[in-house]
Amino acid sequence: MNILRSTLQRTALLVLSSLLSLGHSAAQTQTPTPKAQAEVGVKQDVAPMPKSYPPDLVQKGKALFRQDCSFCHGRDATGGESGPDLTRSKLVTADVDGNNIGPVVRNGRPDKGMPRFDRSDDQIASLVAFIHTQQNNALTKKGGRKGVDVSDLQTGNVEAGKQFFNGAGGCATCHSPTGDLSGIASRHQGLELEERMLYPKHAKSRVTVTLSSGQMIAGTLEYLDEFTVGLVDSSGSYRSWRTRDVRYKVEAPENAHVELFSKYTDDDVHNLMAYLQTLR
Amino acid sequence: MKFLNLFLSAVCALLALSSPRLLPAQGVDEQMLLHPPADSWPEYHGDYSGRRHSKLSQITPQNVKNLTLAWAFQTDQPAAIKSSPLLVDGILYFTVPDNIWAVDARSGHQIWHYNAPTTQGDHIGHRGVAMYKGYLFFLTPDAYLVSLNAKDGTVRWKVQVADVTQGYWTTMAPLVVKNHVLAGVSGDLDNITGYIRSIDPETGATQWQWNTTPPAGTPNQATGGMTWMTGTYDPDLNLVYWGTGNPTPVLTGSTRPGDNLYTGTIVALNPDTGKLVWFFQVSPHDTHDWDAVEIPVLVDATFHGEPKKMLMQASRNGYFFVLDRTNGKNLLTVPYGPVNWSLGVDKQGHPIPNPAKEPAPDGRLIAPDEGGLTNFRSPSFDTKNGLFIVDAHPSWSIYFAKPADGAYGWAGADYDVWGKGVIEAIDYQTGKIRWSHELGPEGSGAGVLTTDSGLTFTGDALGNFLALDSSNGKTLWHAGSGSHILSSPITYQLDDRQFVLTSSGGVMFAFALPETQ
Repeated sequence: MNILRSTLQRTALLVLSSLLSLGHSAAQTQTPTPKAQAEVGVKQDVAPMPKSYPPDLVQKGKALFRQDCSFCHGRDATGGESGPDLTRSKLVTADVDGNNIGPVVRNGRPDKGMPRFDRSDDQIASLVAFIHTQQNNALTKKGGRKGVDVSDLQTGNVEAGKQFFNGAGGCATCHSPTGDLSGIASRHQGLELEERMLYPKHAKSRVTVTLSSGQMIAGTLEYLDEFTVGLVDSSGSYRSWRTRDVRYKVEAPENAHVELFSKYTDDDVHNLMAYLQTLR
Repeated sequence: MKFLNLFLSAVCALLALSSPRLLPAQGVDEQMLLHPPADSWPEYHGDYSGRRHSKLSQITPQNVKNLTLAWAFQTDQPAAIKSSPLLVDGILYFTVPDNIWAVDARSGHQIWHYNAPTTQGDHIGHRGVAMYKGYLFFLTPDAYLVSLNAKDGTVRWKVQVADVTQGYWTTMAPLVVKNHVLAGVSGDLDNITGYIRSIDPETGATQWQWNTTPPAGTPNQATGGMTWMTGTYDPDLNLVYWGTGNPTPVLTGSTRPGDNLYTGTIVALNPDTGKLVWFFQVSPHDTHDWDAVEIPVLVDATFHGEPKKMLMQASRNGYFFVLDRTNGKNLLTVPYGPVNWSLGVDKQGHPIPNPAKEPAPDGRLIAPDEGGLTNFRSPSFDTKNGLFIVDAHPSWSIYFAKPADGAYGWAGADYDVWGKGVIEAIDYQTGKIRWSHELGPEGSGAGVLTTDSGLTFTGDALGNFLALDSSNGKTLWHAGSGSHILSSPITYQLDDRQFVLTSSGGVMFAFALPETQ
């Protein structure tokens, strides 16, 4: 899947649904870029002082976090089983008094497997206080800490990565360093870039449905199970059919990424990452 | 006389199958647990074998297309049901953290609701209750075992099973064996020891405790090995089988060289003493969070021509194991999906972890992902077709760990890259996949139930309940549920009507054939 196109489609989705837009923007930005870290962390003397919260509110939030959030996000909010490190989350960094965090807690993130939690305003406020406090603590903490830094992902060989891209990896079949991937490393860095490289999770497939009349309808695949196929057509409308009544063809070029998993060595992944990081 | 005996046996057999039972409510006794009647589901797996296979055959491949909603029960709260209901004396008991519902199995009418909010401990999920006589046993997020009167939900007593302040919590459905309530513990975020504790069902007193690892702080030794899923039991051998979880620290093995016994292990314990009789480690020196707590399924059948008492597990680490459950000797170890973390299998059948695939600062591409090739959802053994049927999750992920992550608790980071769901029907003698059925992107949380009539009940990644033909995996019936399915189905027969129960989100659904006039 063309990464540029998937970005454009996401932009369209942003307009369609504010809930989805929150989910998507956050999903792409779990790890702050070095720039964001520098602004909030290292150059703290020039950045605004992080907001501090009343200790009893933080304590309440800590207890609630432990109950509902810690399994996935870690007890200290630095990530755990399946949930991202919230202390490195751009969504958290950009949050003001829960304007980002609150809706995520209350609506969940069905696309990412996060359940919703019915929580009162007071409870949300305590969670917000705890999460921000943890982020402030993490950013001011000296020395290394948990998480994946851009500097961790610099072990590959650019030339070997370029060869893999053009040769064994087959990447050049769909992608071009001067086309869709031009400037990719300026748009995405570190873990986020690597995750996109391995599999573009939010890529949308195309589908063409042929009705029994012979009429063909193409669109973005919105839903597919054994029984129903649904698409959003060129007018932006959702339409669906029973799979037994139509023929349909899904174009999912992102599946080429799946084919690669069993072929990659870890060196291939690191080399490819090194090469992509030159595409600024 | 002979004829009369035969006749009487037939009548008794019919009575056993028919319902309502002629006796007044009795609760659960040892005989019911050893031979569950058709109108009951008296423990987590339905019976001690963990096969989640029912002899009921009213619903068949031919008539399942008529299956319809008998009732639905709304819990009216956001936590998803991850529990397997119990059914005793016509009443169902199912749970989410801090909550138990007692519901009429005929109508879905609520009889009582126990709601005791706790503020400590992880509320990640709850698997259900256990029952002994007229008493329920319920584990809480803050690691207490609560005993309640099944008739009204009043609390008899409450005992601490683990110390929540150390980082333990509890989610599992206890296993009742004779006069023992066996409880396991959870807790991956701290370097603490997993254990199984046997508790007296009358008094709450501890009878014995078996620890997975040496005490925390023992040099060069792992902690962990949580015991968060319900085991199985062979009454003839008097052995309880239990899977243990991953070691801690989770993603780094630097401070815990060696195999890290008894983490990632299937253990056979004497239920009366807690003594370890044998063990088989399915994930030596795990560094990927692959608990071996998946159901140890007990099957008596021939293996390459020889009658065997077997134990089978489709493990989270991607391997399918068949063991001789009398002694723990390995009969078969074979991957049932993409697995890239091992150097192969040793002579005793243990996978050999590849040191180059331990989490690293620049990342390692690993299959399966942290959720594993399967997880707590139950598989089923279809005795008729000799198939081990599991909801599998072929998947890839990247694992990171660096010295700065330390050696406490999680100690690293991992990220799912891609996954899907697929029902796999595994030939237990070869590990070959006889048929498979795609479930959709990411994967499904639904467990599997099979019946003697040749049906496989499960759910897909998009929230459809499915009934499949057990012989070939073809879809015979479906119904959209509107949410994620995160539990394993059960079945029972009441008033000569067979029900299939399965949850989705916070709703419990009961399906049956239309009632005839």
